[in-house]
Amino acid sequence: MFLLFFKQFLRSKTCQLGLFMVLLLGIISIFIGKQFADDQKETSKQITLKQKHHIERNLELHKDDLGLLLYYLKFTLVNKQNPLAALSIGQRDVNPSVQNVSILTLEGQKYDANLVNPVRLLYGNLDFSFLLVCIFPLLIIAFTYNLLSEERENGTWKMIKIAPKSLLNFLLLKLSVRLVLVLLVMSLLSFTANWVLKIPFNTSFLLFYLTGVFYLLFWFALSFWVISLKFFSGFNALLLLSFWLLIVVLLPAFVNNTVTNLYPIPEAFTTMISQRNGYHQKWDENKKETMEKFYANYSQFEKYGFPSEDGFNWPWYYAMQHLGDEESRKESNAMMSKVLQREALSKQIAQFVPSMYSLLTFNDLAGTSLQNHIGFLLKTNSFHEDLRLFFYPKIFSNTDSRKIDWEQFEPSYYKEQDLNTSWVKIFAPLVIGILIFFGISVRILIPKGY
Amino acid sequence: MRKEVLLLIAKQFFIQTFKSKGVYLLLLIWIILLYYAAFSGVSYTDQNHHRTNHQEMARESWENNPDKHPHRMAHFGTFAFRLKHPLSIFDFGLESYMGNAVFLEAHKQNTVNFSEAGFSTGLLRFGELSMAIILQLILPLVIFFIGYSAISSDRENGTLKILLTQGARWKEILFGRSFGLFVISLIFLLPFFIVSTLLLVFEHHGNEDSWYRLMMLLSSYSFYAFILSSITIIVSLKSSSSKNALLKLLGIWMVMGIMLPRTALAIGGFLYSAPNKLEFRAAIEEEVIQYGDSHDPDDPHFKMLKDSILKSNQVASVEDLSFNYGGFVMKEGERISSLIYNKHHHRLLDKYRKQNQFLKWLSVINPFLAIKNLSMALCETNFESYINFQNQAEDHRYHLAQKMNDLQIKYISPKISGSEGKKHVVDREEWKKIPAFQHRFLSLGKTIKNETTALLSIVCWVLFAILIIQYYSKKAKIV
Repeated sequence: MFLLFFKQFLRSKTCQLGLFMVLLLGIISIFIGKQFADDQKETSKQITLKQKHHIERNLELHKDDLGLLLYYLKFTLVNKQNPLAALSIGQRDVNPSVQNVSILTLEGQKYDANLVNPVRLLYGNLDFSFLLVCIFPLLIIAFTYNLLSEERENGTWKMIKIAPKSLLNFLLLKLSVRLVLVLLVMSLLSFTANWVLKIPFNTSFLLFYLTGVFYLLFWFALSFWVISLKFFSGFNALLLLSFWLLIVVLLPAFVNNTVTNLYPIPEAFTTMISQRNGYHQKWDENKKETMEKFYANYSQFEKYGFPSEDGFNWPWYYAMQHLGDEESRKESNAMMSKVLQREALSKQIAQFVPSMYSLLTFNDLAGTSLQNHIGFLLKTNSFHEDLRLFFYPKIFSNTDSRKIDWEQFEPSYYKEQDLNTSWVKIFAPLVIGILIFFGISVRILIPKGY
Repeated sequence: MRKEVLLLIAKQFFIQTFKSKGVYLLLLIWIILLYYAAFSGVSYTDQNHHRTNHQEMARESWENNPDKHPHRMAHFGTFAFRLKHPLSIFDFGLESYMGNAVFLEAHKQNTVNFSEAGFSTGLLRFGELSMAIILQLILPLVIFFIGYSAISSDRENGTLKILLTQGARWKEILFGRSFGLFVISLIFLLPFFIVSTLLLVFEHHGNEDSWYRLMMLLSSYSFYAFILSSITIIVSLKSSSSKNALLKLLGIWMVMGIMLPRTALAIGGFLYSAPNKLEFRAAIEEEVIQYGDSHDPDDPHFKMLKDSILKSNQVASVEDLSFNYGGFVMKEGERISSLIYNKHHHRLLDKYRKQNQFLKWLSVINPFLAIKNLSMALCETNFESYINFQNQAEDHRYHLAQKMNDLQIKYISPKISGSEGKKHVVDREEWKKIPAFQHRFLSLGKTIKNETTALLSIVCWVLFAILIIQYYSKKAKIV
């Protein structure tokens, strides 16, 4: 019976057209992931070489003056990419994954934006996660909206009614045909992507895949509920599309607008101005005062004493630079905490909206979330401080740059800790949604007194 | 075609529609959506306060500088904050993806930072809810829903036959129904423009230019509604049943509104890959080194420059010149590096334009894209308006840096090479003479010129819609 239904469904025009569209978009999405992954691979290949050349060239020009050399030298920190990022690009296109920082004021360097075409950002990446979250539900709607109504409209309804099997069983059989087909397509695309993009077959990938499966199951459950209300086909389709619009467009937009308006971040601008003033205004102040402020932070260097008030010297220069960071710390921290509040609130609300929940989970698994970027920014802070603490004593004691081992300055990498949540916790919101809608539909479809 | 009959049919359709309760429910949902979109529009543009405040803050700290060496001021620099156009209340467009603030200093073209997208969770990728998006994406659904059975249900229950035997002509029926549906869609459309007008009056003191833009928006969206109404009527006419008509319309909506735009841009991005930041910077750095690096003491270009200056002034060393040579070198360096930067930047923008070109072409066959492009352009939230801001900021930066170099050449002793200390300084009154940065929007003429494709496409679609109704009114069958 199942096989018969399966073959029959495969022959229908809706099915063929739907499959064709989704497979086509699936292939495009894998290509987009590949392009993204290749770009990143190419970049990280270039980085090591570029860093080496950069240091060599500047050593040649400024080897006699360590202070001046370090004014020009930039060091690289890379946000190491999870292979899954090619499936769910998330925020990685907006936020840079490479930081190139000198030991000057960090607040003026670390927020430098990526170079991207804003129009591409507006329309969004057609990556695999988008396909799963937005397009697959449309396929499910197209496959199921007339599950029951077509029988009524084609006049086959009466035949089914007199057949011994219950309505519920009949519908479940028809639904399972579509479910199996959709899951087959989804699995085919997932594993093709896995193979083409060389993603290791590990827990993260499995979690990614299963989140996708549960999300699609949710849509089947929702669809089943709409079907069980027994409207005519056109209205079912409209109702389901309205749900799609609500879940995939309106609610996320609503939540995003609300979160953005609830936590505006003017502190970003203030940080910009205060880091500049914090450093630049020191040029007009007493050198001794500047050094005292600096030593208050780093008392270990106090032994180098105070430079003369007349003329330029590097210890004072780097102290000024550091104070730019120091005097904008308050605003900078306020900015970061607002960003984290945005993330936390979004996640809380997302638990109740499957589309949002799945996308954020995909991004989390792929290390492409906002949180990942915040982690990278924090890492940049300590990376910068390590560099400074390494170079400060050398600048203060006027060390010959040739005595420093420059080979050690290869690009550093930041890797976020793996998501450490239990499987139950990850799938629970989706499973609850599935159970609710499926339960209601079964209640409706079982005849009363049965 | 008799006007009275056409209007009668339109009126009848209008009355019939408002007899059903469903429409009122739809209107209620519609008003809620409008309210929310308007509300977020207002809170988004409220961000302008922060920007003007910070622009003033930046200016104040600039002017408060004491007497200083001009090169210190060149590095002190200033900031450019991007303002939102009053009409961005209606269409957010690229707003969230554009950088909002850029630091302007000598020698360095900084990126425009702090876009809303950079601070957003992944949710932004689902899109935003502006008044424009509701009209572009949800108005079609409303029109389709109200009109899908306009012809087909009359055919199904036989009223079509009665209408025709009573003397109504096909042309009158089709145009009448289209017109009726169009009038209904205007009822959904107009509140958006009333609200926008009120907001413009009360929130922004919109200038003349904004009013023209709003009028153009109103007419473009009305055209859009007309196109959608006609499509609905034609599909209803050509479908075997009401059910099929609705399904076909929903299919059109899905392909035109959701699938095509994203896919087009994905293909555009795939065909024209643009350099990333590292490649972009590296290419510029390389070329600057090749041409002449003012920071390299042994650079051949600057060595030659020095020799020729010394020769023409008949002096032995730069300290004997009548002007500050350091300032002169920096001026030349700034000129070279800006030239090279601008060349590369334009190349990059052309790559982006090529990526976007696909969407422009598609707007010829897809009225959804045509209205989207036009709407963003009219609200100054599109690609070209962002580039306009970037160019203004870079222009301001360049002039600021060169002005400081000029001051150094003129006022700082030729014997001085460093910029530290309080001895070799320029009077602080000079700082106030530098104009403050002010973001200016594109003129309406420029905007229209940039979007001729979309404009033409909308007009052609209206004509096409009329023609196709004409065509089918001759071929239509009763059964």
